[in-house]
Amino acid sequence: MNKSIIFCGVGGDGIITASNICANALLRANFDVKKSEVHGMSQRGGSVNAFLIYGKKVYSLLPAKASVDYMFASEKLEALRSVDYMNEASIALINDRIVPIVGAKIDQDEINQYLNSFPFEQNIINFNEVAKLHNMQKGVNTIMLGYFSKIIEIDKKHFTRAIADTLNPKLIDINIEAFEIGLNLS
Amino acid sequence: MRKIISGNEALAIGAYRASASFASGYPGTPSSEILEHTKTFEDIKVQWASNEKSAFEQALGASIAGRRSFVTMKHVGLNVAADSLMSASYTGVNAGFVVVVADDPGMHSSQNEQDTRLFAKFAQVPILEPSDAKEAMGFMQYAFALSEEYDTPVIVRSTTRVSHTQEMAYFDMHKLGGYENKLLVKDISKYVLVPKNAIARHKKLLERNAKLQKLSNETPINRIEQGTLNIGIITSGVSYLYAKELLPNANYLKIGLSWPFPIEIAREFVKNLDKVIVIEELEPYIEEQLKAGGIYVEGKKFFPQDGEFNLDIVEEGLAKASFLEKTPKKYFEVPDLPARPPVLCPGCPHRPVFDILHSLRVYVTGDIGCYTLGAAAPLSSIHTTVCMGASISMGYGLAKASLNHKVVSVIGDSTFLHTGLQPLIDAYVNNVAYTVIILDNSITAMTGGQPDATSGFNIKNEPTHKVDLENLVRSIGIERVFKVDQYDYQTTKEIIEQEVNTKELSVIIATRPCVLAPKKIKEIPYLVIADKCIDCKRCLRVGCPAIGYKDNKAYIIEDSCTGCALCAKVCPTNAIVKGDVNE
Ligand code: SF4
Ligand code: SF4
Repeated sequence: MNKSIIFCGVGGDGIITASNICANALLRANFDVKKSEVHGMSQRGGSVNAFLIYGKKVYSLLPAKASVDYMFASEKLEALRSVDYMNEASIALINDRIVPIVGAKIDQDEINQYLNSFPFEQNIINFNEVAKLHNMQKGVNTIMLGYFSKIIEIDKKHFTRAIADTLNPKLIDINIEAFEIGLNLS
Repeated sequence: MRKIISGNEALAIGAYRASASFASGYPGTPSSEILEHTKTFEDIKVQWASNEKSAFEQALGASIAGRRSFVTMKHVGLNVAADSLMSASYTGVNAGFVVVVADDPGMHSSQNEQDTRLFAKFAQVPILEPSDAKEAMGFMQYAFALSEEYDTPVIVRSTTRVSHTQEMAYFDMHKLGGYENKLLVKDISKYVLVPKNAIARHKKLLERNAKLQKLSNETPINRIEQGTLNIGIITSGVSYLYAKELLPNANYLKIGLSWPFPIEIAREFVKNLDKVIVIEELEPYIEEQLKAGGIYVEGKKFFPQDGEFNLDIVEEGLAKASFLEKTPKKYFEVPDLPARPPVLCPGCPHRPVFDILHSLRVYVTGDIGCYTLGAAAPLSSIHTTVCMGASISMGYGLAKASLNHKVVSVIGDSTFLHTGLQPLIDAYVNNVAYTVIILDNSITAMTGGQPDATSGFNIKNEPTHKVDLENLVRSIGIERVFKVDQYDYQTTKEIIEQEVNTKELSVIIATRPCVLAPKKIKEIPYLVIADKCIDCKRCLRVGCPAIGYKDNKAYIIEDSCTGCALCAKVCPTNAIVKGDVNE
């Protein structure tokens, strides 16, 4: 059976890079992989989604609603915006933060309440705090990926190679370090 | 090699493998990355053009010179190049010439939805429709061969999903071989479309069509896939993949070359099947071709004619056609959330201009580019956006028609050079009094920061000549030309105000470069001194995503702020200061 992941976040916060690393890790782990995202306007701070489907043989470029196995959300509102892709068996990893929207009032408690009302498994962790603790503010998404690799059960070695494949050589070591931080987070 | 590649990367690799040695284009989502990837190949001469028509003709010229060449654009770009396409269909080519057009079903970042297959039919040139990245690579190679064999431009039509999907592919990076550049040809009867020659070329074109028609029924890219169910699906592009995912055991007629339409295969295909439907994104092109050929199968009865397809839409349609039973699914409902629309970046130099235009309450005709976002709240200061270059011509019309309105046209540097210059000449010659603001950020920012003629560097980031907009505009004869630095808010405001109130044609060139490209610009972030903030919300009205609001006070998100100081300049109580001041 094929599996699918939805990545959600805010334009410019690195969600596309995170999904690229993940796609490369899955390639390294010998899956057929298809990844799709929306470019263009979304890069100007709008909502961004990337979808990844992997398995033995993948046809579709996008998963169906209510069929996604995993969610990787760098922000809570965006996680909420994509819950129609989730089902009861899905598992979500959500960065515990809210990015304000120009001109909108956001009630934090309400957002948390909504999220709590969904029955799928949610791992809500403040990765920005974790990053700050390790002085790795730029590596928030990679720390998240470290944690996420445990959820999707893909070996670390595939991810480290994927990081090396995907990122600028100067950033590889620091991101592998960030990945480890996430991996060792309990 | 085994690698994850995008459709756009695959198109570039396909062109390289087919020995293309010249490429041009105008950036436009979702097509822009094709040339960005092409530039990595040493053997291909590649550049951005000022518009699609120019790019098209450059590549056609290279083909006549004997070099395999291609041009890239988005669907609306083909409208600009349509004039050239219609005639290139008559002249034909020398070395292979491929027109890569990326459609945007669903309008992720476009002003309309267009189906380029209709253009292919209109211009009578073959069109290939890859379904994914792997096919995109192969089809690109095939397109060059077809172009030469049949002496015609060939369109390769991608869509957003094909262009921007990344998938695992096996391929090698060697050229296919067996191809040699051709000699430049001087053939006046072929390439000079005076009526006498064009009449003869039209007949040749019709002969070519007959041959292409035959090819369409024989080519392996129009193929029947036998299934075990007694139902048939005729489809192309990404629709094929969604259908295949849902109904792997149906019979398929998968169409890769869709004009001329493979009507004979279709006849063969429907013969022994109980029920056949058509699945295609956007226009009912295949459906109409079938019906015109006497094959009455339905398509748009079950599937929408607008928007981008996905698994859910295709499943819905297949259920409507009784091809499958829709499995009842439990959807979690998305709560009513505030939309997170795209916004101008923190520090964007367009923002002060729109803040000023907003406060002056003028009528603003806008154009295509990042600055189109000036139409969004809270800036809300663009009142029309139609297509590239239209701001100046529409501003012209508005200014002429309603003398009591103060009209301002805003246009980016890239768009100005694309199709804004000509209407500005018209406005000058016809004495139209209004104000044109060229938002010169020296880059094509919307599509990812490609250089244009004002940038001073080319697609490979090498330094090159640049056009001086002020000289260019003055050379038309326009006298009221002003240069402003938008970060100098007060002066910019004074000049705009002065020009809006002057009954003469004037051009204001706003000169701040884009904050993102070619280099990210970041100064010390600003912060709000909470005690001084009187909750007037003036800073929120500039719509900077780095400004938040909590407990009746504005605050600034340090990571996002670029230090442009706009908010500080509009704050009435000087509550906003440079971050390092207090430390
Ligand atoms: S403009 Fe100044 S006073 Fe008004 S809300 Fe913003 S920071 Fe506060
Ligand atoms: S200085 Fe103000 S307007 Fe400029 S980027 Fe920072 S918060 Fe936004």
